[in-house]
This record gives sequence, C-alpha cells and structure tokens, in this order.
Amino acid sequence: MRFSISAKLWAAFIPILLVIVVVGSSAYQNTRKLVDTAQWVAHTHIVVGQLTDMLSALQDAETGQRGYLITGEDRYLEPYNSAGPKLDAAMRNLKTLTADNPEQQKRLASISPLADAKLVELKETIDLRRNKGFEVARSVVLSDRGKKAMDDIRVLTSEMGNAESALLKIREEEAKASTQTAFITIVVGFLIAAALVIAAAIFLGQHIGGPLKEVTAAAEQISSGDLSLDLTQTARTDEIGTLTRTFAQMQEALRAIASITERVAAGDLSVQPTPQSDKDVLGNAVTSMVLNLREMTREILNGINVLAGSAAEIQAGMTQIASGAQETATSIGETSSTAEEVKQTAMVSSQKAKSVSEAAQKVTLVSQTGRKAVDDVVEGMQRIHDQMALIADSIVRLSEQTQAIGEIIATVNDLAEQSNLLAVNASIEAAKAGEHGKGFAVVAQEVKSLAEQSKQATVQVRQILGEIQKATSGAVLATEQGGKAVEGGLKQSSEAGDAIRVLTESIVESAQSATQIAVSAQQQLAGMDQLALALDNIRTAGAQNIASARQAETAAQNLHSLGQTLKDMLARYKL
Amino acid sequence: MKRKATVNTIDWPAVHRRMKATSEVLEREFEPDPAALTAILQRRAEAIARAPTLEDSGELLEVVEFVLAHERYALESAYIREVCPLKTLTPLPCVPSFLFGVVNVHGQIVSVIDLKRFFGLPLTGLPDLNKVIILHDGAMAFGVLADQILGATTVPLASLQDALPTLTGIRAEYLKGIAPGRLIVLDGAALLRDPDLVVNEEVL
Repeated sequence: MRFSISAKLWAAFIPILLVIVVVGSSAYQNTRKLVDTAQWVAHTHIVVGQLTDMLSALQDAETGQRGYLITGEDRYLEPYNSAGPKLDAAMRNLKTLTADNPEQQKRLASISPLADAKLVELKETIDLRRNKGFEVARSVVLSDRGKKAMDDIRVLTSEMGNAESALLKIREEEAKASTQTAFITIVVGFLIAAALVIAAAIFLGQHIGGPLKEVTAAAEQISSGDLSLDLTQTARTDEIGTLTRTFAQMQEALRAIASITERVAAGDLSVQPTPQSDKDVLGNAVTSMVLNLREMTREILNGINVLAGSAAEIQAGMTQIASGAQETATSIGETSSTAEEVKQTAMVSSQKAKSVSEAAQKVTLVSQTGRKAVDDVVEGMQRIHDQMALIADSIVRLSEQTQAIGEIIATVNDLAEQSNLLAVNASIEAAKAGEHGKGFAVVAQEVKSLAEQSKQATVQVRQILGEIQKATSGAVLATEQGGKAVEGGLKQSSEAGDAIRVLTESIVESAQSATQIAVSAQQQLAGMDQLALALDNIRTAGAQNIASARQAETAAQNLHSLGQTLKDMLARYKL
Repeated sequence: MKRKATVNTIDWPAVHRRMKATSEVLEREFEPDPAALTAILQRRAEAIARAPTLEDSGELLEVVEFVLAHERYALESAYIREVCPLKTLTPLPCVPSFLFGVVNVHGQIVSVIDLKRFFGLPLTGLPDLNKVIILHDGAMAFGVLADQILGATTVPLASLQDALPTLTGIRAEYLKGIAPGRLIVLDGAALLRDPDLVVNEEVL
C-alpha cells in the first residue's frame, strides 16, 4: 500500500460530496422557484383587492350622490366625500403594482379618465341638486352619462382581474413542473449517496480499523503495566506501521525504566539511568528520583544518626527530669507542711488578735471608769477648793473678830488708864485732905492697884490676841497652801483625765488595730488554705509530671531502638 | 504609785472637844476660880493689913510720881490739882516751842508745857506724852505733859538729896531734890512762879 490514510479517506468521501452537491443545487433551484411563485400569487391577490377597492370607492361615491339627490340633505354626502381619497389611493397602488406589466398599465390608463369622468358627473349632479334642484340633476342622471362610464370601468376592471388570474395560473404550472423534477433528483441522489457511504465504511474498516485495534490492545496491555507483549514487526509504511513501531520503542524504554526501578527497589541506588532526551519526562523523573533517593537516604542516614544520639540524650534528660520531679515532689511536701505550720501560726495569731481586741475593749471600759473616777476626783477637788475658800473666809472673819476684841481690849486699857488717873487724883485729893484723907488714900491706892491689874490683864489679852492673830495668819497661810495644793491637785487631776482620755483613744485605736489584725489574720488563714490547695494541686501535677517523665523515658528508649532499627534498615541501601 | 491614805489625818473629834471646852470657858463670862478669887482677896487683905513702916521717920512729902523721857519725876501733891489724859489739845501759833498748846479741863482753858523741851532734855525714843498734870497755886495754873503717871506716893523730906553738880541751868533751878531710887522731885512752886513760863509775846 503506497497511499496514506488521509488519501484513502479523501477517495472515500469525495463521491459522496459530489452527490450531495447535485441534490442540494437541485433542491435550491426548486425552492427558489416555489418562493417566486408564492410571491406572484400574493401579488395577484393584492392587485385584485386593489381593483375591488377602486370599484367600491366609485360605488360609495355614487351611493352618496344618489342619497343626496333623493333627500337633498348634506349628511348623505358622507360616502361621497370619503370616496375621493380612497379612489386616489387605490389608483396609485395599482399603478405601482402593475408597473412590470404594460398591458395592465394600458388598461389602468384607460380606467383613470373614466373614473375622473364619473366623478365629474357626480359632482355636477350634486351641485345641480344643491343649486337648481332635483329635476335638473335627475335629467343629468337620466342622460346615462355616468352609467356608461361606470359600465366601462366595470368591464375594464374585470379584464384586469382576468388577466392577473391567467398570469397566476401559468406561474403555478411552472412551479409544479419544477417541484417534480426536484423530487426525482433528491431520491436518486440519496440512493447513490447511501451506496457510496456503505462502500467507504467497508473499505476504511478493513484497512484502518483492524491494525488500530491491534495497536489499541497492545496499548491497553502496556497501560495495565504488562510490558511482556512482543509487537510483531510490520512492513506497513503508513501511519499504522509507524504507530506500531513507535509503540515497540516506547515499550522498550519502559522496560529499561522498569529494570532501573527494580534495582532501586532492591536497594541498589548506584544505578545511572540515561534519559532518552531532555523532553523524556519519565526518564528525567526516574533519574532525579534516583538522585533524590540517594540524597534523601544519605540525609535520612544522617538524620537517623542524629535521632539515635538525640534519643539517647532525651533518655538521659528524661531520667534527670524524673529524678528532678521526684525532688520537686519532696520539696512540695515540705512546703506543704510549712504552709500548714504557717496556717497554724496564722490561726494562733488570729486568736491572739481576737483576745487582744477583747482585752482592748475591756481596757476601754476600765479606762472609761478611770476617767469617771478622775472626773469625780476633779469634782471632789473642786468641792475641797470651795471648802478651803470657806475656811479661809471663816479664818479671816475670826481674825476680824480678834481685831474687834483688840479694840475692846484697847477700850478696856483706856478705861484702866483712866481708872489709874482717877486713883492718882483721888490720892491727890486725899493728900489735900490731910489726916482725914488717909483712909481715902488707901482706897485710892487700891483702886490704882486694880487699874494696874486690869492693865496687866489687857496686856495679857493683847498677847493672846497676838498669838491668835499669828495662829489665824498661819491658818490662812496653811489654807492658802492647801488651796494651792488643791488647785495643783485639780490641775493634775485634769491632766490625769486628759491622759486617761488620750489613753482611752489610744486603746480604742489599739482595739481597732487589733480588730484589723484579727481580720488580716483571718484573711491570711484563708490565703494559707488557698496556698495549701494550690500546693496540693502542684503535688498532683508533680506526680503527673513524674509519670509523664517516666513515660517520656520509655518513649525515648523506644525512639532509641527505633533509630537503631532505622539504621539497620538503611544499611541495606547501597549508595 | 500607792500613797498612804492615812497620812496627816486630822483628829476631828479632838478638835471638836477643844473647841467645845473653849466655848464653855467663854460662856462662863470670865468668872475666876474660887481659889484664884480667894488668893486675890487674900493678897489684898494682906496689903491692907500691912502697917506703914516709914510713917514715923520724919516729915513726909506727898508727891505724884510720873515718867518723862524714861526718867522718873515727881511733883508735890500740894501744887497738883489733878491729873487727866491729854485730850483735844489745841496747838497755839507764835508761841515758844515748849508751849505745847491749850486744853479744856472742866471748862477751864489751861496751857500745856512740854518740860522736856523746857528743860532741854534729849528727845530720844517715842514719848507717849498723853497725860497732863495740872499744876496750880491759886494765882497760876498750867498743865505739864507726862509720859506716864506712876501714882501718888510719899517721899521723906530727909531722904531728899541735893542735885548733882552736873545738873545746872534750868533744871537746877526747878529741882527740889533727888529721892532714893533716882526719883527727881521737881519744885512745883518754882515752876508756878517762873516768869519764863508766862508767855506774852506780841506778834505783829
């Protein structure tokens, strides 16, 4: 076979194409003719319709004229008035539609003056009816001028309609003949085309489908991974042959890659695959895979070495962590007992603070009592002071009385003096009396003696008074000192009262402080409780830590043995 | 600091007892004890019963003894009208210094002489000068100031001694003699007669 598959395909499909062209052109011609015929049919119908319109417009004008002529009323002129424009429009359309037909044009040209004449006649009659009355108009109608024109128009219109109908018939005949021809052409063409298609299918199936099926089966086998198929060498020079040979080459290449992969799988990473070209994706991929595997294995080996070392270190660290956690647990136990002791201490201090607070409250009461006592003392001192003032007053009055006594004594003294003088005078008188006065002189002497005794008595009384005066002065002095002492006592009592007040305030502050201390100690107690709880949690966590550390130690051991295993595994790879 | 509460406790019952005793004594209105009264009366009776021993020893001179400038003087009772306390003395202007003033004695205006100034005695100490001895002899009467009147007594004339030779001047003129016990007896008559004591100065 020297022809390529495309040439064979061309040879099979060109005859079919020719048949289709013949059939298609025939169908096209026929269809065009049918369309033309349908257009001409529509044209004929429009022309006939326009002719009818023209005639009906003329009839409308005539009807309006007749109504007016009979009645003389303008409303009957309505059809007449509207007939003019209609007639004009129909005439124009007819002229346009029949432009391709000279005969019809000629007839239309002869209708036009007749229609004008008819319209003139109608107008004339209407004007006459309006201006000269019915009879005159009737006479014009009776002249048959209008009728004749109308009849002519009818005849011409009928001719035109007949002519159109004749044309239509001829065209329909033509269309029918054409359709017949087209039908025959299509049937024959279809039969020839069907025969050609069957022939081409048989030919192509024998010369292209068979070899392609064989190649497809081989491809299926290769795609399922079976490279054992031996493709028979073919002598075909067309594309099928080329395809078969190419498949054989591909299988060979795949076999080479498979052998390399087998060696890699067996652990030999020292193979050197050679890609067939730069675009050999698989070859390049295998090459880079081998290289990468080699590199990766090397790195994995290094990593495993590091892993083994790290696992050993982790194991050691974990052992240390476990022992550290054990120590931490011991320390936490000690801390917990210490916290318990602190808690006991806080409890004791709380109780102490409470008792101090109570004692301070008692002391506050005592100090209040003391203050009251001092106030009483101050009051008593004040009373003593008042009494002292009374005593001083009494003594002063006593002194004044003494003065009064002194005055009395002075008077008595004076009297004694006078008595003395009187006695002297009596003696003088007695002396003057001579011998007779002797006895009187004795009496006078006696009186004098009494007077002197009186005087001595007054002197004694004066001395006593002096002593009394001294005593009262001493008493006044003593009272003054007593008063001063009492004032001092008063002052000291006030100071003592102030001191006790300050003391009371201090004690109240102490009581408050003690209360605060008690509250603080309570809070401390609560804090210690929380601390104990926290320590408990820490202890639990520590125990968990120890367990975790043990687990981690075991894990590290496992890791270590895993590293060893990996090392053994990697030893199988030849690099 | 506990103090002894019983220090200096006043024994109020004793005080009250003493006060009551005193008031009782006072209420008795100074009645001497019967014993004391008896003793006083006894002494007086003895004094009165005692006989004057010097009565027969010669002529006696009745004198009034007084103290002047701490010295004892005496004047004859014969020239003495009376003694009286110095009251309501009215000083006189434009008179010699010895003329102390005038006093009203029983309605009679009597001039009073200060013998200390008159005799030129030293004005030592504070003199009482509250007694007046009224001298008179019928023609003349004046008062002599005295510190103290000791009383009337008798002096035996025989016992009078002459004045000391040192006593000269005015004092010698009025001296009658010196009795035993340094009693200076003044001559009342001489004083009353002395023209120096008559004051008659004309003051323009």
